[in-house]
Amino acid sequence: MKLSAPATPTSSAEVTRLHWTAAIVVAATLPHWSTLPIWAPVLLAVAIGWRLAVATLEWPMPIRTLRLLLTLLAAGVVAFTYHTINGVEAGSALLVVMIALKFLESRGYRDQLVLIMISYFLLFATLLTASGPFTAIYLLALIWLTTIGLLQLSRRGPLLGLRPTAELAGRLLLQSLPLMIALFVLFPRLPGPLWAVPGTSTSATSGLGDTVSPGDITSLALSDDIAFRAQFLSHPPPARELYWRGPTMTNFDGRTWSMPIGDRRGERVASTIEYLGEPTEYRVMLETSGRNWAFALDMPKPPEQRGLRMGSDYQLRTFPGIPTGTRLDYRVVSYTSYRALEPLSIDEQERFKRLPPESSPRTRELVRSWLADDPSPEQLIERGMSWLRSQPFFYTLTPPALRAQPVDEFLFSTREGFCEHYASAFTVMMRAAGLPARIVTGYQGGELNGLGGYYIVRQSDAHAWTEVWLAARGWVRVDPVSAVAPDRVALGSWRSALAGQRVPGSALGRIEWVRRALLAWDAAATFWNEWIIGYGPDLQRALLDMLGFDGAPRAERWSKLLLLCVGATLAGSLLVSLQLAWRRRRRAAVDEAAQAFARFAKRLSKLRVLPRAPSEGPVAYGGRAEAGVPQAAGEIRAIVAAYLRARYERDSDSSALAELRARVASFRPARV
Amino acid sequence: MQLAAARRLESWAASWARRRQGADSHAVVLKRRRIYILPTGFGVAFAVMIFAMLLGSLNYGASLGFMLTFLLAGLGLVLMHHCHGNLLGAELKLIGAHPVFAGQRAEFRIGLCNATTAPRYEIELRHEKHSAGPVDVAPGAEASLRIAVPTERRGWVALDRFAVVTRHPGGLFRAWTWVHMDARCLVYPQPAPPGRPLPESAGAGFGGRPDRGDSDFAGLRAAAPGDPPQRIAWKAFARSDVLLLKQFAGGDREPCDLDWDALPGLEPEARLAQLTRWCLDAAGEARTFALKIPGVTLPLGGGPQHLAACLEALALCETGER
Repeated sequence: MKLSAPATPTSSAEVTRLHWTAAIVVAATLPHWSTLPIWAPVLLAVAIGWRLAVATLEWPMPIRTLRLLLTLLAAGVVAFTYHTINGVEAGSALLVVMIALKFLESRGYRDQLVLIMISYFLLFATLLTASGPFTAIYLLALIWLTTIGLLQLSRRGPLLGLRPTAELAGRLLLQSLPLMIALFVLFPRLPGPLWAVPGTSTSATSGLGDTVSPGDITSLALSDDIAFRAQFLSHPPPARELYWRGPTMTNFDGRTWSMPIGDRRGERVASTIEYLGEPTEYRVMLETSGRNWAFALDMPKPPEQRGLRMGSDYQLRTFPGIPTGTRLDYRVVSYTSYRALEPLSIDEQERFKRLPPESSPRTRELVRSWLADDPSPEQLIERGMSWLRSQPFFYTLTPPALRAQPVDEFLFSTREGFCEHYASAFTVMMRAAGLPARIVTGYQGGELNGLGGYYIVRQSDAHAWTEVWLAARGWVRVDPVSAVAPDRVALGSWRSALAGQRVPGSALGRIEWVRRALLAWDAAATFWNEWIIGYGPDLQRALLDMLGFDGAPRAERWSKLLLLCVGATLAGSLLVSLQLAWRRRRRAAVDEAAQAFARFAKRLSKLRVLPRAPSEGPVAYGGRAEAGVPQAAGEIRAIVAAYLRARYERDSDSSALAELRARVASFRPARV
Repeated sequence: MQLAAARRLESWAASWARRRQGADSHAVVLKRRRIYILPTGFGVAFAVMIFAMLLGSLNYGASLGFMLTFLLAGLGLVLMHHCHGNLLGAELKLIGAHPVFAGQRAEFRIGLCNATTAPRYEIELRHEKHSAGPVDVAPGAEASLRIAVPTERRGWVALDRFAVVTRHPGGLFRAWTWVHMDARCLVYPQPAPPGRPLPESAGAGFGGRPDRGDSDFAGLRAAAPGDPPQRIAWKAFARSDVLLLKQFAGGDREPCDLDWDALPGLEPEARLAQLTRWCLDAAGEARTFALKIPGVTLPLGGGPQHLAACLEALALCETGER
């Protein structure tokens, strides 16, 4: 029989499939929306709308040439926007374009499964850069949804309901969990990337900037984001000594301090430090910042860790090869008392004394009066600090803006500012006094997380201080803020907020139990970062050593790991098939009457009565049996009647069932 | 070309399976040993995708990337087991096939029974290019599927082999088994086009007259092309979806003799076609008739059973089968 194709091209079942596909596609692109250029979601919405209109309103399908043109155009726009089609962001944008255009031309089973695959891949692309536990949970929900879509769209028959499919998808994912964990732990990890990874274009999120420019509006120290966590392996130094060194600012144009460029004296400078007193050993778990800065307590020893080095300004930096997106975890030894005896040539000293000629006349005048009293460097430092103490200076995070002569205005009229103002002004004073000086930026203090036994250092702990070079003592740290707001240094930014000063941090954070809860959460997040996000070749090696593969060469370790992976896969397989066998037990016949009747039917089948057809009722079957075995017709009729009574009528005393059983048991017709 | 090669490969594999498994009875429980499973094209693409994810994760050192990669790898493995388990333990039985006329499709009805506690999804039966299903079978339920086999000639048509196939869940794998039941369906000769009137012989019958007491409704038989529509049992059609023809035994009309030798000048097959037509016409008109063909002579009779016997004799005339 030949049927002409129906006039309406899309059946309602096909429309349902399209709806499912659209839902999955939208879900998979969802995590990318924040990073995508605005036209990408718009393109997707248009593609989905058009395709659904084709299905339901009988719009025309876009012709092939148009689709091809759109594809090329979109790829061109992506390349233009990102200047590449390589890398996570550009690749994701390209995938979103592909998914939109593929959806537009999708025509059933095959295309829909391809869309499911692209969806999985888009979710994967999110995970290349994401690392938070909430993101992971969110993504897991989306993976679940995509798996539901896979189960639905891989059906050739009509789609199932949402609930059974969701349950099945959940069960499938749960069953794949053990294998995931095993492979996650055992699959050999590589220490470095396979090919160069282009950096992400997101700007730095650090509270520290490349420049220090007091007087301009700044977002410094306004964020509660975590900069890093530090876990002390020896006794932690007191809070007032927790100066975490970051970049130093040397060049000053009267308003803005900036970093020196192309300073290559690193190794020589580091070797001139004299370390005094007890070493402090600790581990730093750095959050991603998009920069190659690493932080260490003032003053660190040059780190032994691969990929880290110490610069001429004593700052730790990562090697350029390490992608800035990775979360760094390193050990350092620092000495809180030291002598940084960098030998500065006359030229170099001049560099650290340089002030723009016209800048800060009043400050220079003030300093000249001090010089006239006592020109010794130590005395000048003391003089500056006591002057700050004696004048009515205020520590605030919302200082008034400063105009043409920021240092003079700050020191003599506004007198409100935060660390950068003080550090900048003090450094200018020292340079005016003819002492080499510079600004060091970094963090000060940190919050002890008692649950995790580590310090949390936040962007709001960002700090700046001054270093003055004395011929006899080298670089000496001077923190002018300690003269104005000693609490800031002794207690940290958060507690000084309690003392009534205007300091960042959410108001919620000041409530004690909220703070405790936040700390507990942070401990969990740290565990996550350390053991899950941070699980790499080093942890894997440590684990293997624990398992007794001490010091095996890499090739041997890897072959063992791969062997373990195979073993895990087999074990996982076995586990799954056992679970499946348990779920799919043979079903006991629900009904005892039905069981008895089945025994009867089996006996009849030996007498060449064909088994009961699915559509055949017991009476019809009985009739057929009577015809086939006429010598037992009466008995067959009685059994069928008893069965009908036992199965379908009220049989409260089970008499019908008993009769049925007895009759079936004694049903032994003679063969003819 | 490629398709032909694939088909040859499949038929080779199936005959290997036939040698390995032996012939099946009319009721088969699918055991582990006979269920085969391979990834589909989509499954291979999925594996390639997982490999790409693995490379990406290695390159970026992305732990969550590894997690998704291995979750999906685990999912693939789990799906494989589910796909295999979807067939494992399923029970198949041959319900039968109604005789058809040559040129029609013989429909073999296969019962698919799920006597386990978990549902089975998306099970298909495949025979050469045709497939039946897919069906879902709830726990304890039974579904019946029809495999249609085209027929060309009268005689027996056999369903020598069919495959039970599933891609559920996920479509990554295709699990299947070949079943070789000894299933056959009788194919009647294709009736000649109507037109030639029934021979008005003095129906002496070839074997004597039957008693002509039962002149009323005699039962139903499957309707065939060319049957008079006023005899179709519409009520029965509403119940069962099968076109049946009301038949009347005895009747007032004269009996007739349908004789092979009465059709000289026709090819043997054409004679059989004409005799088939006459049988249908006679039964349609509720006349009794007798049939004589080489090797078989059926005495005067009426009703569906007589018609079936005549058609069967025509179907198997000089084929050496029975």
